[in-house]
Amino acid sequence: MSEKHIESGEGHIGIPGYLGIFLVLVVGTILTYVVATVDLDFIFPGANTLVALLIAFTKMTCVMLFFMHVYWSPKLIWLSAIASFFWLAIMFAYTMQDYLTRGTGVFAA
Amino acid sequence: MATHADTLEHGHYHPPGLQHQFEDMKQQEESVSIGMWMFLVQEIMFFGGLFTVYLVFRSKFPMAFAAGSNHLDAFWGGLNTLVLIVSSLTMALTVYYAQKGNRNMQVILIILTMFFGAVFLGVKTIEYGDKYKHGFVPVTGWNKKIKADPAASHESGKPCWEVDHAAAEVEHPNPRGEFQWKDCSLVKQAVDEHEHDPKKTTLTVSEQNGYFSNGQIDVDKFRDKVRIFFWIYFVMTGLHALHMIVGLGLMTWLLWKAFRGTFSHEYFAPVEMSGLYWHFVDIVWIFLFPLLYLLGRHFMH
Repeated sequence: MSEKHIESGEGHIGIPGYLGIFLVLVVGTILTYVVATVDLDFIFPGANTLVALLIAFTKMTCVMLFFMHVYWSPKLIWLSAIASFFWLAIMFAYTMQDYLTRGTGVFAA
Repeated sequence: MATHADTLEHGHYHPPGLQHQFEDMKQQEESVSIGMWMFLVQEIMFFGGLFTVYLVFRSKFPMAFAAGSNHLDAFWGGLNTLVLIVSSLTMALTVYYAQKGNRNMQVILIILTMFFGAVFLGVKTIEYGDKYKHGFVPVTGWNKKIKADPAASHESGKPCWEVDHAAAEVEHPNPRGEFQWKDCSLVKQAVDEHEHDPKKTTLTVSEQNGYFSNGQIDVDKFRDKVRIFFWIYFVMTGLHALHMIVGLGLMTWLLWKAFRGTFSHEYFAPVEMSGLYWHFVDIVWIFLFPLLYLLGRHFMH
């Protein structure tokens, strides 16, 4: 049965599943706000931003896998979704390896 | 092969919605999906360019970004995040009911999705209006023009770290509608911490050059850095809002198609593809909310 659904592009987690993902997203949003008000700089400067981004990535993964049905999609869709973040990472990394080594930004001595 | 006489066309069966260049629904569905995903990948790349700009300037002037961010209203931003998540849920359920061929639920859920999309844009309008009133729009002349009043008590003559945000409008005259920024309390806080404990330096080299003149905090130089934050804020949220407007257009078209009972178990690609777009716009906001609204909250004591 489930095999057939994948073939017709109809994979989904049903209404309870959708509500569950929705709940995760709401909790994630509230958590993002609460954590932002706590000063985490004692761990290392910028820890707040890292935690915020981790939550955002988790929320995004939930949306992509289940709301956008990537989980039931062909390999080519998986590849496109993952590759876009790979290109994004290249853009960020190559830009910042210039700016961060000029010695004037946030990671300067 | 199905044998329904009414769906027979030049001798073989055509499911509703199957275009002639495709062998079957599965091939069409996959082609449509990959096309939509290619579109989304380029959307990720062009929002990515803006995130790169954000990354570069925030790494240079983190305090100016925190100061600007703390003046955005996290309540409205958070509310909008929840509104978009609810709209994503109704969108996902629209696709679910389209696959089931349930016309009434599709129509109801599309209307709900459009409603939440409109609420989002309404909240955005309130926020932009607030920025207009306070002189936070980074374009000269696009802010509310407030005439200088000689009768004012000149609260604005105070040092820049004691600016009273609750002061009446007349205390912050802005006759030309310029970008206004008078609060340097975060810089003062960093300077004080450094004096208290010289080993503790929270300002970057860019900031040490960019916020001071002759060793004193220069509020005009600081203002120009905060202005960069507000440029980024308006461009990113503006472009996101534009995507929402396009999304509402898509939903209107979808509503018409769904109302006419176009979609069924066999043909629901337009709903699914519009859903992908809608969820993508939601994902962009998931990142914009913490990066724009919450980045400096932990500096507020």
